[in-house]
Amino acid sequence: MEQYTNNDITKLTVLGRFFHKMGMFLLQRTIGQQVALFCRAISSIFSASRSFKTDSKNIILQTFFTGVEIFPVLFVVATLFGTIVIVEIMTMMGKMGFSDVVGNLMVVVIIRELGPILTAFLIAGRSGSSLTTYVGSMVIDSEVDALATMGVDPIRYLVMPGLIGGTIATFIMTIIFSGSAIGAGYLVIKGLTAITGNALNLQLTWDYLSTEILKALSMTDFIFIVIKPIVFGCIITTNACYQAMNIPRDIRQVPKATGKSVIKSFFYIVCADVILSLFYFLDYFNEISKII
Amino acid sequence: MNNEALRIEDLHLSFQGLAGTKFSMPRSLSFFDKTRDNDREIISGANLVLQRGETLCIGGPSGQGKSALLRVIAGIARPSAGKLYYFGEHIPPERQTALEIAKRQVGLVFQNGALISNLRVRDNIALPLRYHKKGTAQEIEEKINMAMDLMRVRDFANFFPHQLSVGMQKRVAIARSWAMDPELLLMDEPTAGLDNYNRRNLLPLIDNMRTLFKTSIIIITHDLMIAKELGCNLCFLYQKKLTEPHPFDYWLHANNDISKELFRDLRTSG
Repeated sequence: MEQYTNNDITKLTVLGRFFHKMGMFLLQRTIGQQVALFCRAISSIFSASRSFKTDSKNIILQTFFTGVEIFPVLFVVATLFGTIVIVEIMTMMGKMGFSDVVGNLMVVVIIRELGPILTAFLIAGRSGSSLTTYVGSMVIDSEVDALATMGVDPIRYLVMPGLIGGTIATFIMTIIFSGSAIGAGYLVIKGLTAITGNALNLQLTWDYLSTEILKALSMTDFIFIVIKPIVFGCIITTNACYQAMNIPRDIRQVPKATGKSVIKSFFYIVCADVILSLFYFLDYFNEISKII
Repeated sequence: MNNEALRIEDLHLSFQGLAGTKFSMPRSLSFFDKTRDNDREIISGANLVLQRGETLCIGGPSGQGKSALLRVIAGIARPSAGKLYYFGEHIPPERQTALEIAKRQVGLVFQNGALISNLRVRDNIALPLRYHKKGTAQEIEEKINMAMDLMRVRDFANFFPHQLSVGMQKRVAIARSWAMDPELLLMDEPTAGLDNYNRRNLLPLIDNMRTLFKTSIIIITHDLMIAKELGCNLCFLYQKKLTEPHPFDYWLHANNDISKELFRDLRTSG
């Protein structure tokens, strides 16, 4: 009887066995499997079955699904968030005599930190969960198995467009969120000022706001405006697909996996944000060392 | 040229293997899973040889692992032991995946059809053809139309699967598999959910696939009369064992436990 065991490990050298054990250790952990899934989805772009027309269509559909449909909610949240942040910063900093740091604070709060995180949370809650439910239902109904038996790689057909489309949408939505928070937030404040007769006592002009923000933006900010949403988008879509692909064949597991997908995405996003923020610290240290 | 379409040697399948391929995991990783001590065996030491162009029906009481056996052959479920040969070629355990087996022109018609829910009937049939670039756009279009005509689903070409009845979904699933020109076609309960009219129309189609296209077919069924109508061999998965294949009449008149249990009604009705 041919037992399905791995006999080849014994043929490896000591170093080979060490790396094999390390690799197996990582791949048997959720995070290792998610990284492997991400790598396989990326590598599947170059598979023999690639078709520019079909792939573009799938990616555009996924971008639309992730981004465009979330836009109304995202715009409202961004506007309200921007209004609160601008009002708080303008009033508090003015009172404390720190009017010159208004731009820096806006950049840190809206563009650098909370803007990308809130956008990622919204996308994880809406599009990430939908992706888990969609792929998870396909797993339950044997549709994913059917794809494989037709020789259609489920990673390429389902995960890759989700990953690329989701990441593009996260990037675009983050830019829109930051833009809406500042632009629409400013308009709301102007409206409130007109209605209340400047009861808030805010001497806010667009020239002042935009100049302060542009002055405060550094090269590192521009780099991270691109990197952060891409990292968050990859995390959300990979995690959503991973949770869906591992659903046991039981319909009750779909809502469970959806919840797990959202919560884990939140957790990974915060962890990734902390890691990425370390680069800002390096940037600060660099600047301080230049001054010294 | 080897005349065997499929050979199974000493196949064992447990519940753990039935959990299936985790597509999110690297291909070979699932073969390092530790076998659970309390894992129950579903199939124990099954052997089977299917010749090219041969049709075989596999029957047996519910819950004996018939569909599980089909999933193993299609590469979706993972056996705990045994050897599988497709058209004379042995597929080693680490390569026994659905994607690898599909490359050998093995198709599977699922019991529930398993149509892609967000694609219309036409696109469901077209999906594997377009994915594998099986000809020009016009050739693919002709193939789709031919498949739809064969299964008489052309009027529903623009319907989504949820708008179709169970029987109709099954016909689309068969059309989708047929369009891929499989050399070995696995069918899980193809007549379940079909009315007598469609059942009568389906059986000659299966027979045509065997005679015209030399397709080897394995049919899992509770409808034992299929074996009689197709004139093919019938074997049973019974108490974890796969019996030797024999013609329908052999089983009808045999004096063993399987025949007594499964052919009782057929015997009394004459």
